[in-house]
Amino acid sequence: MAEKYNVIGRRQTKLDGPLKATGRSPFTEDVVLPGMLHGKIVRSTIPRGRIVKIDTTRAERVPGVKAVITHKDSAGIMVGPDQQLLCDEMVYYIGDEVAAVAATDEDAALEAAELIKVDYEPLPALLTMEEATAPGAPILHQYFDDNYADEKVVNYGDVDRAFAESDHVRTDEFETFPSHNCFAELHGTIVDYSLPGKLAIWTPSQTAILIQKGMAQSLGLSESQVRVLNLNTGGAFSGRGTVRPHHLIAAVLSRKASRPVRICMSGEEEFIVCRSAGGSKLTFKSGVLKDGTLKVIEADHLYDCGAYVETQFIQLIIVASTLQMLYKIEAMRYRGRLVYTNNVPYFFHHGGGLVPSQFALGQHLYAVAQDIGLDPLDLHYKNAVDKGYTTIGGTHYASCGLKECIEKTSRKSGWKKKYGKLPPYRGIGIGCGVMSSGGKGLFQHDTSAAFLKIAEDGKLSLFTGLPDMGQGSHTTMAMIAAETLGIEADDITVISGDTDIAPFDVGAFSQRGTFTTGNAVKNASLDAKQQIAKTAAEKLQVKPASLVFKDRKIYSKSDPEKTLSFEDVVFDTLHSAEGRFIMGRGFYNSPTSKPALAYSFGAQIAEVEVDPETGMVRLLSMTVAHDVGRAINPLAVEGQMDGQVFSGMGQTLFEECVLEQGQIINQSRIDYRLPRTFEVPGMEHIIVETNDPYGPFGAKEVGEGPIACNPHAIAGAVSNAIGYTLTEFPLTPERVLEGIRKRDKEKRRV
Amino acid sequence: MRLPRFGYIKPSSIEECLNLLQEYGGKARLLAGGTDLLINMKYRVASPELVMGIKGLPELSQIVMDDKGYCSIGAGITLSEIVSHKQIASDFPAFHKAVQSVASKHIRNMATLGGNICLDTRCWYYNKSKWWRDAREVCHKMGGRECHAIKGSPRCHAINSSDTVPVLIALGARVKVVRKGQERIVQLKDFFQDNGARPTVLAPEEMISAVLIPREASSARPAFIKIAMRKGIDFSMGSIAGLLAQNGKGAGELRLVLNCIGSAPITLKKTVLVIAEAGFTDAAVERAALTARSELGALTNLFTSAGYKRHLAEVLVKRALNELNELPGKNRSK
Amino acid sequence: MEMRIISLTVNDTAYEVAVKPWQTLLEVIRDELGLTGTKRGCEIGTCGVCTVIIDGKAILSCLTLALECEGRSITTIEGISTAESLHPLQKSFIENGAVQCGYCTPGIIMTGKALLDENPDPTDDEIKEALAGTFCRCTGHIKIMEAVKKASHPAGEKE
Repeated sequence: MAEKYNVIGRRQTKLDGPLKATGRSPFTEDVVLPGMLHGKIVRSTIPRGRIVKIDTTRAERVPGVKAVITHKDSAGIMVGPDQQLLCDEMVYYIGDEVAAVAATDEDAALEAAELIKVDYEPLPALLTMEEATAPGAPILHQYFDDNYADEKVVNYGDVDRAFAESDHVRTDEFETFPSHNCFAELHGTIVDYSLPGKLAIWTPSQTAILIQKGMAQSLGLSESQVRVLNLNTGGAFSGRGTVRPHHLIAAVLSRKASRPVRICMSGEEEFIVCRSAGGSKLTFKSGVLKDGTLKVIEADHLYDCGAYVETQFIQLIIVASTLQMLYKIEAMRYRGRLVYTNNVPYFFHHGGGLVPSQFALGQHLYAVAQDIGLDPLDLHYKNAVDKGYTTIGGTHYASCGLKECIEKTSRKSGWKKKYGKLPPYRGIGIGCGVMSSGGKGLFQHDTSAAFLKIAEDGKLSLFTGLPDMGQGSHTTMAMIAAETLGIEADDITVISGDTDIAPFDVGAFSQRGTFTTGNAVKNASLDAKQQIAKTAAEKLQVKPASLVFKDRKIYSKSDPEKTLSFEDVVFDTLHSAEGRFIMGRGFYNSPTSKPALAYSFGAQIAEVEVDPETGMVRLLSMTVAHDVGRAINPLAVEGQMDGQVFSGMGQTLFEECVLEQGQIINQSRIDYRLPRTFEVPGMEHIIVETNDPYGPFGAKEVGEGPIACNPHAIAGAVSNAIGYTLTEFPLTPERVLEGIRKRDKEKRRV
Repeated sequence: MRLPRFGYIKPSSIEECLNLLQEYGGKARLLAGGTDLLINMKYRVASPELVMGIKGLPELSQIVMDDKGYCSIGAGITLSEIVSHKQIASDFPAFHKAVQSVASKHIRNMATLGGNICLDTRCWYYNKSKWWRDAREVCHKMGGRECHAIKGSPRCHAINSSDTVPVLIALGARVKVVRKGQERIVQLKDFFQDNGARPTVLAPEEMISAVLIPREASSARPAFIKIAMRKGIDFSMGSIAGLLAQNGKGAGELRLVLNCIGSAPITLKKTVLVIAEAGFTDAAVERAALTARSELGALTNLFTSAGYKRHLAEVLVKRALNELNELPGKNRSK
Repeated sequence: MEMRIISLTVNDTAYEVAVKPWQTLLEVIRDELGLTGTKRGCEIGTCGVCTVIIDGKAILSCLTLALECEGRSITTIEGISTAESLHPLQKSFIENGAVQCGYCTPGIIMTGKALLDENPDPTDDEIKEALAGTFCRCTGHIKIMEAVKKASHPAGEKE
């Protein structure tokens, strides 16, 4: 089945590897502009209340200060429908932006910021979802009737009948706590708004287009007046998709001072700027038959949205649609709501917002399997979707390797020999997941465009608007172009990171890079190939359709002796009477909206050892299988599996932003417990290739699929190890011990 | 996070250093490794007028097996230097293990033993920037009247987070404390006080110049257990050091010291008595572990809940006793 | 009055630079000397992206005063390769997929270099211990540790 490719499927090293390994690859904070000022933001110290007075007079007198701004300077600029850029009357969380300064050096900026005096009148704050939704609770945002920021309800099939026909119905409630993306490069930006009619912004980002649109919209500019430079992005993990207050604050400061302004977050500030995952309360109810057939899933989800909603509604959309994507159920009911509180605003961590929901659903199904005496792996397998299936929501799978993933991980890990047979406090667990490759949702379209030009020496410049945040997207695009044109990835320079130069691309989120931009690059390469084939065909006196492009050569299929070098053909095309300069252009927009054309699938099996005295969990091994359609670059695919397992493990066992009185009390990268080298498990990678008919060379996404398979694999293993299904996430040592105590208590009662 | 403004002097001798400490009192701070002080300065919980760079001062940089029966380690010796010191590793394996468990290798390359002994106590509500702390009332440790860790408490409950301190106390170590014109020896067990805001007996014009470990302690059986969520980087959630000396008459002298649970290291007394009276039986070990729970004083929910701290103390005592009692082919009575 | 002129050697190049007492080595390397390969991260010594090598040891430049580096010799990421060739660790990182976003890469390579210079054939645990003070969200450290191991194995070293 697998076609033999030259470049596709190779373990390709990153094209920008040498630049990054030598520290030459520039990140935003490495950029120095002439006359650049340093900015510092002044933030609220109360979770809710009125601003009585802001006194900036002393700050303005600090030598080196060039601009001080408050709401007066940013009136009318909105970050989102419910969020003013700088608070005018009300503040909504500890950290809300109230004022800012720009000065010639950082010390002056810090000194001035400290001299800005803000008087507040505190008001009662709503710090939990219970408080925010209690009858009589103050309404946090005007134009709302209550503190529900958004609601999504999705129903498919006859839910009530499906429950009535079920042999076993079970309901479980879960609670998850906030976590943080913690990428290596902290948030920051440089904005130069000192020229009339043009704004340039440097910032790490997953999507230049959304930054461009956001800045333009908020500042009343047209998009072409905004130039976004996202040179390199030091990790994103769903945390860098939109314009943040600091981007717009830098713009306002720059305008006022007529100089570029840089604002970079401190390590502590980063925790409140990032919009990472918030807390949630998730209820799952399902109905199954005795034989394990899953008939119906019902879910009621509450997510703490924090002070401002921004784009968190996306999480509800993704969770709702995913609920009916993994198993062949006949009915589904989903209600998801976002709740405003006076906590730090949230979005989600890596995983499309699915990590809390996958944890909860996985634990729920684990408990169901226990109830009916079925091996949980068999429960997943029995109900798994497969190729050709269309779900109750209309999601159709042209390729699906879910069952293959389950089979292969089962075999590799020795599941059948281990499940139910391990010594006490050793456990094994399985998690399955599905992730769409791109898809509509934010806009009417989901377009990526690409163009390429070929120099007379046969070397390519490939222009793409897709950022590379480390996932290797640029290298993957180069490999796609190289395969199409029969050249090497090293022959290609990828040019990106500047909206004045790069073509349109919605961005690297929603797992669209490989699939959508990949198809765009393939189309652009085919366009160029056609132009080159014309010249070669003329020279070789054959039909263009009979030409093969391979190993930097172009030859006739029927007569391989008739060969030309790629470089020579390109040269000749340019130096002909026509003087044609070869340029390829292409775009791709997925035609469907349910939500995507292609989906990756995965299964992961975790083995753990629990210390019953301390409650600490050691993740011994992960067996990870993922259906990526086709691994364009297996080295990069493994890298994604590794990183996402590590991140999933972090979220499941270690990481929690502990909230108290509206503050994160462990707001540092030492007290927020990120796992390190000793916590890394043994890894087995299994790449499953189902050759999707729509993906470029059959490829689908792998940028977020694996993490959606991870948390319940680990949580299931821990629950298996201690003999109790845990319902709080992360599974901290204290919660594990509590689970053991509850288990013992229940045993005594029986 | 930038450092605040300060003046800087690099004294060329310990004498010069002590003169300056005398002159500046609490307005000067010693900078050795920088891995504690500079972080606190970035958070603005420390804002000295003068920073004195004592890294590399020869008087603080010797490891000597002295003629009075002590292993004398200069306060300025880095933790990495101790880790690679073969004799310390063989004579004091639990101490060596404790040193190697401090933070990360990067930190150990810079941090000093003196710095780890005088490590500032830690608290979620303290190790934060001024903006963060401004959301709450000023706490005891910052000169205010509140404790956010234990509401209403008249004193600070920030946690002593040193990994080397419990082992050194168990080994019977002392420190040489110097001030201008004066030197005194303080038993390390008397060096700490149960107050997060004033965790040691050091006066502002004093400093530690050396740590003295009695070499006879190397003949005792040691133990050190650090419980942390991550290996190779974490502050401890609870640590214990133990020492079982044979005093020649058949009965052992047992020492157990807990740390990272409260504001000061806790030398267990009633716990040790249980074993002294009943021996290392399984029942006695269980009883001793339970007894430890009552010797902990007021506990906070800092970093872990008070209940978990109490539970960890029990676990640590049990594990330390088992480690100290471990003999090949042991045969413990029930 | 506040500024002091210090001499330090960075990557075998002698510099004289005016610094304030409260400037860290990281700030001076990046802002005064323009060597931006060393990165700013957590700023409290927990992530390792600011790692440089002084006297053969991996040192956190965010917790080092520039003033205290008077007369010292410092190696940064810019100093370990030449126009002709990359350092074996850099090559190993690239070949083994240990570079993703690249932000933590310089700090981790310098950490790895300090380890291998002191201990050319470390065990897996020694690699973990040396790198425990770094943090890589992208790779989860997995291919990074493989890359250090492969660069250390005598057969794998390339000259």
